[in-house]
Amino acid sequence: MKYSYSWLKEISGTKLSPEELIQGITMHALEIEGVEKVGSDFEGVVVGEILEISKHPNADKLQLTKVNIGDKVLDIVCGAKNISVGEKVPVAQIGSVLPGDFKIKEAEIRGVKSFGMLCAPDELGLGSDHSGILLLEKSLKIGTPLSALFDEKDQILEIKVLPDRAHDAVSHVGLAREVAALDGDIIEYDYDGLKLAKKKTSSITVSIENKDLCERYIAAKLDNVTIKQSPQWISTRLERCGIRSINNVVDVTNYVMLELGQPMHAFDFAQISSGEVAEIIIRNAKKDEEIVILDGSVKKMSSDDVVIANKTDVLALAGVMGGKKSGVSEKTTSIMLESATFNPTSIRKTKNKFTLQTDAAMRFEKGLDPNIAEKAMVRAIELLTHITDAKLAGIVDEYPTVKKTWTIKLDLKYVNSLLGEEIPASVSKKILTSLGCEVKNSGKDLIVTVPTFRLDLLTQEDLIEEIGRVYGYEKIVATPQMVSIKPPVASEKRTFVRSVKNVLVGLGFSEVYNYAFYGRKDAEAAKLQTFKHLELELPMNCEQSILRVSLIPNLLKNVRENLKHTKEMHIFEIGKVFLPNDAKALPAEKNMLCGIVVLEKKANKKGAQEDLQQTLFFSAKSLVNNLMIQFGITDQYYAAMEDGFAQISKTFCHEGRASEIKIDGSDQAIGCIAEINPLVLADFDVSGRVAFFEFDLELLQNISNAQCEFKSIPKYPNVMRDIAMIVSGGQRVDDILAVIQAEGGDLIVDADLFDIFDFADGTSNYAFHIMLNAENRTLTSEEVDIIMKKIASKLEEKLEIKIRK
Amino acid sequence: MLKEKIVKIKEEARVAVENAKTVEDVLQLEIQFLGRKSEFVGILRQLKDVSAQEKKEVGQLANSVKVEIQNLLDQKKKNLASTFDAKAEKIDVTVPAIKLRQGHLHPLTQIQNEIEDIFTSMGFEIADGPEVETEFYNFDALNMPKDHPARDMQDTFWLKAEAGKEKIALRPMTSAVQVRYMEKHQPPFRIIAPGRCFRNEATDTTHEHSFNQFEALVVGDDINVGNMKYMAEQFFSAFFKQEVKVRLRPSYFPFTEPSFEFDISCLVCGHKGCSSCRGAGWIELGGAGMVNQNVFVASGYPRGKYQGFAWGFGLERLAMMKYKIDDIRHFHSGDLRFIKQF
Repeated sequence: MKYSYSWLKEISGTKLSPEELIQGITMHALEIEGVEKVGSDFEGVVVGEILEISKHPNADKLQLTKVNIGDKVLDIVCGAKNISVGEKVPVAQIGSVLPGDFKIKEAEIRGVKSFGMLCAPDELGLGSDHSGILLLEKSLKIGTPLSALFDEKDQILEIKVLPDRAHDAVSHVGLAREVAALDGDIIEYDYDGLKLAKKKTSSITVSIENKDLCERYIAAKLDNVTIKQSPQWISTRLERCGIRSINNVVDVTNYVMLELGQPMHAFDFAQISSGEVAEIIIRNAKKDEEIVILDGSVKKMSSDDVVIANKTDVLALAGVMGGKKSGVSEKTTSIMLESATFNPTSIRKTKNKFTLQTDAAMRFEKGLDPNIAEKAMVRAIELLTHITDAKLAGIVDEYPTVKKTWTIKLDLKYVNSLLGEEIPASVSKKILTSLGCEVKNSGKDLIVTVPTFRLDLLTQEDLIEEIGRVYGYEKIVATPQMVSIKPPVASEKRTFVRSVKNVLVGLGFSEVYNYAFYGRKDAEAAKLQTFKHLELELPMNCEQSILRVSLIPNLLKNVRENLKHTKEMHIFEIGKVFLPNDAKALPAEKNMLCGIVVLEKKANKKGAQEDLQQTLFFSAKSLVNNLMIQFGITDQYYAAMEDGFAQISKTFCHEGRASEIKIDGSDQAIGCIAEINPLVLADFDVSGRVAFFEFDLELLQNISNAQCEFKSIPKYPNVMRDIAMIVSGGQRVDDILAVIQAEGGDLIVDADLFDIFDFADGTSNYAFHIMLNAENRTLTSEEVDIIMKKIASKLEEKLEIKIRK
Repeated sequence: MLKEKIVKIKEEARVAVENAKTVEDVLQLEIQFLGRKSEFVGILRQLKDVSAQEKKEVGQLANSVKVEIQNLLDQKKKNLASTFDAKAEKIDVTVPAIKLRQGHLHPLTQIQNEIEDIFTSMGFEIADGPEVETEFYNFDALNMPKDHPARDMQDTFWLKAEAGKEKIALRPMTSAVQVRYMEKHQPPFRIIAPGRCFRNEATDTTHEHSFNQFEALVVGDDINVGNMKYMAEQFFSAFFKQEVKVRLRPSYFPFTEPSFEFDISCLVCGHKGCSSCRGAGWIELGGAGMVNQNVFVASGYPRGKYQGFAWGFGLERLAMMKYKIDDIRHFHSGDLRFIKQF
């Protein structure tokens, strides 16, 4: 909300300069988002009377005027059309400085000399109106300085009020209390003195159908009302605080709202009464009931909305906006003022449903003190009877349950203990008093009576906050706490994730962060649409509407975008996937690692082995092997894709180049490695081929946690033998290795395929290095021969293999 | 007799080794003087025919001479081998090296690691919680009444409700971790909870709907505002490697009372005011406060028994300050031209 410094000063009685006040509010109360300097001293601007108007000889749109400013008559050229002889207008003489540092000089306008300027409101910094010259009261004395008529210079503070203070601080009186508290004073404004006159009227009846919807409803009838422009001081304050001036009645309701925080509404009494009596009903709207509101739009309501009605018509959308028909117009002579307290939740619903961000709705939705409604009504009547000839006919106040003050017992020891600062009891007491509380001593406690306008002060901690902030957080000394020294329990999960990232970076991978969502289209492109996804109720857009069940779709988008700048990439992401759980509200969140390998297509090589080893898949596989070795895992094996771990990833894999990663002795896959299906890549606009690997980090961590144990270093020399064989097409290397391992037993240290040559007939030549070692002796060559023979014959017996001699 | 022969061989060997010109010469000399068919070995073979006394004396001498000759040979070999023609092997050192593939950690990971390390060194534990949370942990337990504005659709990414299940949403802040942790642990404790949060708001250069927060929570019998100021100053001074002051301003959060906005002194000017902090002297960094007793009660602690503070700030903000990044959207762009700068 926008606050006027001069208004705050008037209410609080502060002597602080604008700069001091801004600093004080910032450090002790609320956040100031902006400061605007407005108005001027109007130096050299006086009231003048127009004596003559004649046409400009050289310009159709300009006029020549003679203006009497008391001590002299000035010739002034003017472009505005709304002036006539006899009007009183503001005259800026030569040498005046108007807002915006605009200096008035003697000028020649299209050949005619002009000795000053007649001013429009905006030129004087009085709002934004530039439709014509500001016409002043004709009764004003010629030559009166304008500074005597208008608010002088002011500063407008834009302040952010948070929800806890939205019921009281969004008003000049509320903020003035904060300002006064800065000096340890109380406000000068006579808040307690605002009491409803005991003047009943039979012209209005009020019936609240549902007490939950309306805590209080005060209606007052004023007669003898003339609708016209507001006095300048009211419209200036309104405009400076961002509210457009409409007419005297509407302006007064808005003025009171800015002053006290209570939204009000004025009805044209003739439009809401049948004959002599207005029978006001506050009720829920009926289903599909309609109202034309002030902005001219038609709103179709439901039973969630609250309306102000009489027996025949809906008059207003309660607390949000008045009806068009029931509002005041130029013909209005009698009005009903409304000052009420509506249910905040109901107002918020209506406001949001119709997206009506009105000043009234935004205040009501925060919840208001029903006792302020009374203060506001008194103040509005006071202003209207003061600035017009309006007469109060009478008041009806429907207030079923009176809101009373409450007390809080405040333990002074707790104040010091929570703030970490010794604050004298007298200081605490003074602070709470200046904020409007009544405070009594009771032993080591304070008994604090909270005024009803501070709906937010309910607990000791609430009061401690008031004391702390007004006292000044900057005075609280930073103090180390006493703690027992013990090492914190390390988060193994974090440590593991961090090491995985470091290893991957060492292997040349760069880390990306992607959004946790993607769109239905992405899910379809990755063939994931058959998996259940959690869906956002109100997504930013359709590309970010469902929670990921796989990291791949967003990573493929990374690939597509990065391929515009580079031909090869190694990227990875560690992040959560969200798998809906039929039984529980929360999904299963799995922390996944996904790595992507994209290689530039190289010219074809001569040998078959090179070709095979250099395909993407094997490049990814060697990286995975390296990664696993870093975590002490060497006994992994690669098996065909099944529906276990890779259930999701399987859908977007290249079927001929996909594998699960398992650990010896277990059938549970902990990860997978594959090429992406080229058709999926096409749907993601990725050209070329992409390989990926994926791990469930928790499973990977569990495996790596298995205790690492030292094996003694071999005492006897290794023996190396080679074996070559012709194998038929389709023979898996893993099966050959399994036979070698089975026959050689513990003596086999390593078996390594070092050469592959494919023949035209579909068979291939495979050659292996086999390394043997015994723990307790040097293997003799005879011994090794026997083992090699065993291996050879077993290979030929079990597999379609011919050993080359 | 034998002794003299040995001394003579030694002298011959010394001269020969001195005159050797190539490594091959030395190898030849090794065979000549110490090889199986050498005069020296011949002498040793004769030892079996002499008296025990002589055998002992000659044996000792022979051994020391053998070692001496071997040393001379080895030294000469080394000297000869270590001469080479550097000019002939000259290379152009300005030829570019092969480019090895280089991986990069995401800048947010790097910042998070730094922060975790500082807090861990101050005795904090690292806690964790789910990114999709129930309404209870996201709001109810954090003292946000049912009609609190923060629950509005505009702020929170709610997930489509399933019949009969509790409402769930992407967590709008890491504070949800507070209650989850306190349900399982008793004070005193110090924890941090880093993690990803989500808010349904339009993105621009400084706003992102997915971001990373850092929550700190310290609870004990008498933890106070002064302790919080101290801890914050220690952390930020360690993080920015210079003395940093913390300033608290009044604020409001449902889960803390009192609540603060906290500013840190400008890293360029201290807190005097300069162009970098637009004259303010302070940089707004996050929200903080003393844990609301209602949050303790929701966690199962008795009301009024413990005191604690909590604070949170955005990782992106720190990363942007540290690396002078001008657009928050880079972090989730996946653009390697961005990531490879870190």
